[in-house]
Amino acid sequence: MAEKSIKQGVIKGIIKLTVILGASFVLLFMFRKMLPAPTEDGYRLLPVIGSRVWVWIVAQLHLNFAAFVLGVPIFAVTMEFLGWRRSDERLDRIAYDFTKLFTLAYTLTALLGAVLMVSLPLLYPKFIDHMMKILGPTWWVYILVMYGEVFVCYYYFYSWKRMKDRKGIHVLIGVLLNVMGILMLLITSSWVGYMTTPGGVSETGELVNRWQAIKTYMWIPLSLHRLVANVVFGAGIAAAYAAFRFITARSDDERAYYDWMGYTSAMIAIGFSLILPGIGYLLGVEIYAFNEQMGIQLMGGFFAWLWVMQAILIGAILFAVNYYLWISLNKMPGGQRYFKYVKFLFVVIFLGYAVWLTPHSVALSLEEARRIGSYHPALGKLGVMASKNTAVIISYLATFISFAIFRMSNKEPVVSWVKTGQLIRILLIVGSSVAVLGLGVYSYMVPSVTRVKVLSPIQFGVFFLCIVALYLLDSRMYKGARIIGEPKWGKMPERSQYALIAITVTFTWLMGMMGYMRAGGRQYWHVYGIMKDTSPEAYLPSHGTASVIVTIVTVLFFLLVAFIFWSIMKLERFSEQRRAG
Amino acid sequence: MKSGVLKLILVVIGLNLFFTYIGLDFLPQSESHPPREIKIQEGISQDDLIVIGEKIVFGKGQCMVCHPMNAETGMRAPAIATIGRDTKEHAKKEGISHEEYLFDALVNPSKHIAEGFDDIMSPAHKPPTSLSEGELIAVAAYLQSRGERVTISYPESLSILKEVMKKEGGS
Repeated sequence: MAEKSIKQGVIKGIIKLTVILGASFVLLFMFRKMLPAPTEDGYRLLPVIGSRVWVWIVAQLHLNFAAFVLGVPIFAVTMEFLGWRRSDERLDRIAYDFTKLFTLAYTLTALLGAVLMVSLPLLYPKFIDHMMKILGPTWWVYILVMYGEVFVCYYYFYSWKRMKDRKGIHVLIGVLLNVMGILMLLITSSWVGYMTTPGGVSETGELVNRWQAIKTYMWIPLSLHRLVANVVFGAGIAAAYAAFRFITARSDDERAYYDWMGYTSAMIAIGFSLILPGIGYLLGVEIYAFNEQMGIQLMGGFFAWLWVMQAILIGAILFAVNYYLWISLNKMPGGQRYFKYVKFLFVVIFLGYAVWLTPHSVALSLEEARRIGSYHPALGKLGVMASKNTAVIISYLATFISFAIFRMSNKEPVVSWVKTGQLIRILLIVGSSVAVLGLGVYSYMVPSVTRVKVLSPIQFGVFFLCIVALYLLDSRMYKGARIIGEPKWGKMPERSQYALIAITVTFTWLMGMMGYMRAGGRQYWHVYGIMKDTSPEAYLPSHGTASVIVTIVTVLFFLLVAFIFWSIMKLERFSEQRRAG
Repeated sequence: MKSGVLKLILVVIGLNLFFTYIGLDFLPQSESHPPREIKIQEGISQDDLIVIGEKIVFGKGQCMVCHPMNAETGMRAPAIATIGRDTKEHAKKEGISHEEYLFDALVNPSKHIAEGFDDIMSPAHKPPTSLSEGELIAVAAYLQSRGERVTISYPESLSILKEVMKKEGGS
């Protein structure tokens, strides 16, 4: 596919998008004529699975792919830039591989978006009319930006080899691609932001100020959260791709490359995921500022148990990452020296997981909360945010230590101040852990406002300061260090790759569940407080039903992703045969 | 290679089944339906009015999301158990009747922030809570019953509520 000329490639992309959009408009027009008129309330009910489940599945699948195609270009361009500046062929190759992945995923993203575009106005015409009345112009800007993005994306991909001597310009094209991606993210986040924390309209839903309807409480924090989550998710999928290629590799060289790609992608995913709780916290603060009840409903109301589920999922991700890093010590000459620390790290992460899993309350409704109290009947206040925040931070710190150990495990520092450096490292780890624990205990004694607005940010601040300090310290201490041996990339047991896949599957499931919670926070409102959902499906399903739907989405997503992986391999083989021929 | 891919597929399916199992079997199951408007009959007894008010406080009104039953460290909003007595004291200080104070605290909560608390409550008669006049009176009667003698009744107290809403432009 890369053998096509740039012009051919770009035209192909534009035609594809135009056909998809055109077909969607035609289908929408036809279905409107063919289907019976909507109910008085403004709904058409899809038979068998219902309108809501259908839109839920399609929207989440589209969002997953959108997250992927918006997240991957960020680190693909970064890798290309680094490869160019360091003259590192391997970095350029991984950047190209990432680009191949998201370019192929574009078509599927657009197709799913088209299905959503046809489904929503057909099934929820009144709601879409309202959205068009309030935010209609942003939709047309969105289409323009989409064309811009497709143009730049295909240009970026098809010009890769032809512009290898003009890397600076090529990197700039990649940056432009990311600007387009961020614009799309901002536009779509404004829609979700308006639905959840509306502004700029009267109580009856009449437009007062369009800019206020765009610039809602949720807009920027949601966009930031999505931006970082997209990188995490995109890197996760790239890690899964690498794992798949590692398992199917036919030579040691291929295995070595994909082992390195899997490691790099997984570390990007985990590295960026470290800042997600902080941004998620910002998002929470904005939701609380908009409407305290909505915030509390999300955190401790009907969704309280899904936060336990979130803890199960993130804890599983942390375990899988640490397991992967611990196994990876085997391929590092000198790595065995650090095996003795693994059990301590395991205990810390396990304890953190246990605290994180403790539910705030076992009550599911306010009625139950009154009967059994708002705290856990046996564990009391151990399940409140004060202890959970503390446990999460300590677990993340332990994960960072696993990463730092892996990075340094094949090196021997030679600076004269090694002992002092090691002492500073211990002091940093112990000191910040004690500070985080102390702040966590103190959080029990202060009003929740102080905990939320002061102590929790300080806890996260201490954690970030600690990891930055550790990173800087290690960089200085290991400068010019004696290398015991180069990492033996590819010398990894297959089970390490299943850990990478497990991380990505769990990320995908987590994204599906958190997306449901964010949308469910509106309860029985299409637009919170402005436009009620009066359809027969205006209720929150049981957690079991929600889990089944999230699983369906995740399995479907992986089937489609597998198709992309397979297509890439097929195209590569085709190119090889053509070259050989 | 084939067995590797098979194992990979098993990991994907196995994890999904595991998470579904937790969702279905480990988490409590309940649906959350939109609240219905509660019709209050004219001339309803105060006891019945209080019972309905309690139901709204714990259900449709979502008051317990922020208000705890009994005072506790870190609470976001005043405790319900003594709210009748507490609001009567505040009403006395402001030189208004207890009924008027309670209604005003429901429709104009920003005007009556108890000391040590933030301004976080939205007017109970507006979306998303959207309590009807009858429901507001029932809630006020329940709140008054927490530590005080109940003087609120339906429809007798309706005129005071309407006056409060009119005065504050809250209707």
